[in-house]
Amino acid sequence: MKIGTFTIGGGYAMLPFIEEEVVNKHHWLDGEEFVNMIALAQAAPGLIAVNSAIFIGHRIAGWKGTVACVLGAVLPSFVIILLIAMFFKEIKDNPTVEAIFKGVRPAVVALIAATVIRLAKKI
Amino acid sequence: MLYLQLIWVFIKAGLLGFGGGMAIISLIQGEVLARGWMTETEFVDIVGISQVTPGPIGINCATYVGYTMGGVWGSVLATLAIVFPSLVIMLIICRIYDSISNRYQDNRTFQVSMRIIRILVVLLVAHAAFVLFTPTTFIDWKSWAIFGIVFTCMLLPLFKRNKATEVIGHPILLILAAGAVGYLLYFL
Repeated sequence: MKIGTFTIGGGYAMLPFIEEEVVNKHHWLDGEEFVNMIALAQAAPGLIAVNSAIFIGHRIAGWKGTVACVLGAVLPSFVIILLIAMFFKEIKDNPTVEAIFKGVRPAVVALIAATVIRLAKKI
Repeated sequence: MLYLQLIWVFIKAGLLGFGGGMAIISLIQGEVLARGWMTETEFVDIVGISQVTPGPIGINCATYVGYTMGGVWGSVLATLAIVFPSLVIMLIICRIYDSISNRYQDNRTFQVSMRIIRILVVLLVAHAAFVLFTPTTFIDWKSWAIFGIVFTCMLLPLFKRNKATEVIGHPILLILAAGAVGYLLYFL
């Protein structure tokens, strides 16, 4: 079981990457199953990446596969964010960092606002 | 007590978070602001960092909020709590997958309920966006300019979908670019 499969990218950005690994390289699922998986992962509550990992893990190796895939999907981001969170506390009041975040903040709001339009188009 | 609150908040976010990352972030935002755990600005910073860090944005956000509120244990609990509902629900779905996979896509009740959920998600994220228009984020005309440009870039792929607009509208690149612009405008 390759745990580090689901490490790069976030959310929808991850899907083509997962497809490449799971369908084309390892043949864990076929194309149709993969599409069904995405539909189910979106329909269920929770993070799409995590839902997909659970589905794939369960298919390949039952509950052991599930645990391995969830850890694979969650652990890298958990460790990275934890390190950043610890580090960011120290540098938060640094004027350079503050200037960077003055630029980032309106961009984040724009991202969320644009997500509204993007989601609304899919209704 | 704080740990219990963290678990509760993130289990709820995982359980009610239909529609993926941004919907979950909006739920977390609502709870965090209502409980007075953070200001809007602090939360926006966390979303920005979550976006440019590899990994699912909801996990990043949960870990970060958990750490800020309750240290390393807080982050562990928040992350576990947000994954837990998915685990239970997806395992149930996997169990019945074969019996429903052919039927559910044609099922009218299923289609209608998914549509209602999608509409609610749009309203939820819209509200989250609305709340974030604060004076601490929009300090001058330059912040509005950044907002306008990023907003436009994000929507470009909706109108013309090709390689170029995909790259321009990529959220990670936009956040990084906005950080660089912030450095140029406000520091130099």
